[in-house]
Amino acid sequence: MILEHILGAVTDPWIAAPLHRLEHQDAVETVTLSREDMSRKRLRACTDKGTEVAIALDRASALFDGAVLLLDDRAAIVLRMEPEEWLCLRPRDLTEAISVGFFAGNLHWRVRFGDGQLQVALERERAVYLERLADRLADGRITLIDGDQP
Amino acid sequence: MNVHLPSAPKGPARIGIGGPVGSGKTALIERLLPALARRGIEVAVITNDLVTREDAERVRRSGLIDPGRVRAVEAGACPHTVIREDPTLNIAAAEDLEARYPGLDLILLESGGDNLASTFSLDLVDWWMFVIDVGQGDDIPRKRGPGIVQSDLLVINKLDLAPYVHVNADQVLTEAAGVRKGRALLGCACRPHGRAASDQADGIEAIIDLIVRDVLFTDIPAEVQGEA
Ligand SMILES: Nc1nc2c(ncn2[C@@H]2O[C@H](COP(=O)(O)OP(=O)(O)O)[C@@H](O)[C@H]2O)c(=O)[nH]1
Ligand SMILES: [Mg+2]
Repeated sequence: MILEHILGAVTDPWIAAPLHRLEHQDAVETVTLSREDMSRKRLRACTDKGTEVAIALDRASALFDGAVLLLDDRAAIVLRMEPEEWLCLRPRDLTEAISVGFFAGNLHWRVRFGDGQLQVALERERAVYLERLADRLADGRITLIDGDQP
Repeated sequence: MNVHLPSAPKGPARIGIGGPVGSGKTALIERLLPALARRGIEVAVITNDLVTREDAERVRRSGLIDPGRVRAVEAGACPHTVIREDPTLNIAAAEDLEARYPGLDLILLESGGDNLASTFSLDLVDWWMFVIDVGQGDDIPRKRGPGIVQSDLLVINKLDLAPYVHVNADQVLTEAAGVRKGRALLGCACRPHGRAASDQADGIEAIIDLIVRDVLFTDIPAEVQGEA
């Protein structure tokens, strides 16, 4: 089946009601995509129930978490984004905060800030990031937070 | 509560072809064009060169495609900027081709040639391949540049040359598969030395099979969305 339109969001009132009914009939299927795949206009994917679908959107549309791609009397297909993993780092002092911030930017890592931490989105295996940070971790310039151990 | 919508005006699929200078990107396009035509797939081409239009001229003169369907974008000093950070020139070229040739199924976009770090923006292309060749050394897959790891398809070209550059083709393919972790990988020989370029061992049809499966979807029967 080729899905060419985003019909709306799971939270849209006119969608939420029929979707809820279909959920009770176990007739809602989910396609889960990585953050990278969410930025595509065309891709092939499989639902959690094993239905193969192709998505082909016009260039102006964009996939989002909670997008509804199919909705009729018998079935619905909902899009979900895979939860992202973040590596949470606490710099020892201001000097290190500036330094590790520059370092992450230089490597094109996607980051966010919060709670005195530099948080790095894991877009590849965790080991790839830890390898680059090994020196800083070893001499305590940064620490990994929250059971976020290597 | 069925939702009936007209088929969307989604336009042709766009595919990126990246890889180091000389790996065979243009040669691959020259092989894809007649093979795609045989399958009835309508194609246009955009080439990115640094400061010339060499590749575009080469494709136009090839006789393999209507010269109007080939556009050149001059990348300036930085070939990866125009396919990743700021792909507006390439998007404009693609929109131009789409407006001029409404029946297009596919636009092939050759990057200007870069190191192993180049990747395509998914705002520009739907899917992209990275072309390397055995002449660059058997350790290339182990170097794991983003192009090698993240591309939707890694093509290892010039397999015909492997014996002459002291490379074990099977070993390179095996190592590349290890680095790719399940992502698609194909070997090919776009212009095999001393062999007819049309023999079945050259790998071109397998590349097209993958393009059809991953972005063209011509194998899927059209069904109206909302009528599953
Ligand atoms: N022996 C051999 N030569 C090839 C093959 N593919 C491309 N070439 C040659 O490699 C050179 C570079 O190819 P080109 O397509 O211009 O590379 P590009 O810079 O990546 O576009 C040309 O001289 C081609 O003829 C192949 O499969 N085998
Ligand atoms: Mg070229």
